[in-house]
Amino acid sequence: MKDQVIGLVGVRKLYRLGSVEVVALAGVDLEVYRGDFTALAGPSGSGKTTLLNLIGCIDKASSGRVFVEGQDITDKPLDALADLRATRIGFIFQTFNLVPVLNSFENVEYPLLLSGVPRKERHERVWSWLRNVGLESQARQRPDQLSGGQRQRVAIARAMIMKPVLVLADEPTANLDSETASQILDLLDQINRETRTTFVFATHDPNIIGRAHRRIRLRDGRIVADERNGVVNSARLQPIATTGSRSQNA
Amino acid sequence: MLLKISFRNVFRNRRRSLITLLVLVMGATGMILFGGYKEVNFYGLRETTIRNRLGHLQIYKLGSSTAESDKPLEYGLEDVQSIRKRIEQDPRVSMTAAQITLMGLISNGDKSETFLGTAVEPSKDARMQAQRLVSGREPTDKELDTLIVGQGLARSMKVRNGDYLTLMTTTVTGSLNAMDFQVVGTFATGVKEYDDRAVKMPLGGAQLLLNTKKIEKLLIMLKKTDETEDVAADLRILAAKEKWPVEMKSWSELATFYHQVVLIFNGIFGFIGIIVFVIVVLSVANTIMMSIFERTREIGTLMAIGTKRRRVWLMFLFEGMIIGLLGGVLGLLFGTGVAQLINLAHIQLPPPPGYTTGYPLRIMLKSSILVSAFLLAWVTATLSSIYPALRASRLRIVDALGHI
Repeated sequence: MKDQVIGLVGVRKLYRLGSVEVVALAGVDLEVYRGDFTALAGPSGSGKTTLLNLIGCIDKASSGRVFVEGQDITDKPLDALADLRATRIGFIFQTFNLVPVLNSFENVEYPLLLSGVPRKERHERVWSWLRNVGLESQARQRPDQLSGGQRQRVAIARAMIMKPVLVLADEPTANLDSETASQILDLLDQINRETRTTFVFATHDPNIIGRAHRRIRLRDGRIVADERNGVVNSARLQPIATTGSRSQNA
Repeated sequence: MLLKISFRNVFRNRRRSLITLLVLVMGATGMILFGGYKEVNFYGLRETTIRNRLGHLQIYKLGSSTAESDKPLEYGLEDVQSIRKRIEQDPRVSMTAAQITLMGLISNGDKSETFLGTAVEPSKDARMQAQRLVSGREPTDKELDTLIVGQGLARSMKVRNGDYLTLMTTTVTGSLNAMDFQVVGTFATGVKEYDDRAVKMPLGGAQLLLNTKKIEKLLIMLKKTDETEDVAADLRILAAKEKWPVEMKSWSELATFYHQVVLIFNGIFGFIGIIVFVIVVLSVANTIMMSIFERTREIGTLMAIGTKRRRVWLMFLFEGMIIGLLGGVLGLLFGTGVAQLINLAHIQLPPPPGYTTGYPLRIMLKSSILVSAFLLAWVTATLSSIYPALRASRLRIVDALGHI
């Protein structure tokens, strides 16, 4: 039986914009399993990032239940989930979101410090991950001294340093040129294969959608297509296009 | 790591931090300069009051403070030699000096004025440096019919050194007596109203004029003003043990004007302190708020990857603390430097109201003022970052990340 990492049951998310109530997610059921390399696709406003935020325990659902590794975290306050986020979930952002005043080494080291990992082990793990992402020689450089691709590699090392069960990536290649984006994707693919870490992407990028093992398409806050390796997961849902331009995916 | 992030963030926007530091440095410097100026004034006024008029302690005949006397020196002290000898044995005592204050009419033959006289032991009085001699010399212990007059009175009486003036007053028996005194000098205390009426004469001369051997009071001068209360306590025990018929007052009980000045200066100092406090609070709070505004996404990221709200709060609190610490240290250095420069510049201030002479602008660098100035910068900067830091820690993660 597959290990379930994330489970969403009937999840709805409503926002209030002035006097108007906006439905971001309109009842989502989803299960994500260990080792999945999943892409959430869909046009802007379809609910990709909202879904990612709920999975990442940085936002609360308006209704429905959220499970992380079988644990129901629906009613826990977000600050109480900080330890869970620090140890079990990694984040990769479109704009890299490194701490500008810390160098590459310190940025990667930061989550280990939060969890109180001893200095010797910290250093071993940081150097190991900087090696893995090919940035050993840039260890002492701050983010503003790095290229976009290098920054995203630091962000990947930071996301992976705690050996998380799940990594959430919100448009991780959107700010990179196509060659660098492809290299980053290769790196993530390799990490996924070697560590069986679960990856969930919110993306418009056809390359990511094309390389994902599982593709979930959202529209108006609902899952309208869910396909794993060419097989549609539910008879109710349509297969998803894996090639074509952004505008087709959008 | 939190401290490291906070420390580096202080220098991230250097211009803004520099402006905040300048506010702190100027605040601390203002406190040091005004506090030091205030202390110099307190010290000067206190020592002048003690040396000019009061001494550190005064001994009177028992009951004189509550009794209403009908005649001069009705409650005067007699035969104080043994008391003086015992008191002067105390190593903390510098000397004792007998005094009589009297008043009456002073005349040059053509014109009469009222006078306020102080009869002193000239050799002791010279050691007290009670007044500044403007011309002539001090009387000596043996020249009983000499005196020095206040600058204003000398002008009014049109006398020069060597001239004679007649002093008339009531004796201890109630009858009138007059004596001629030779003017040997003029003096100034700086207080115009006093200098217009004052004469100072040898104790023996006054006793002749008053027809008595009594003295009014015995002044006790100490080596250190700070020891006044301790010496007073010991002397009270001694007086009780020896059954001396005396009572004692310290300079502080008698120096009403000094205490009024202290009250006014402390009020002004407190007001300035509040203004500096408000400026520092607004400045530092503004800096931290701007910093939070610029780093909203960074705060969101830190919380998303597992940083608890308390740590975010601490991170910004540390920033305020570091700015305050830097501002406090720089303020101390700059403030003491400016104070030293002012002291070296020998700046002369104009006479204050009621005084005839100016005085030098000096700043006393007292440790309590330096500590207060440093704490003002440090503690205020830390306190003023509490609320902005709290706001940062309460940001919604998704809002901070800029994603909805």
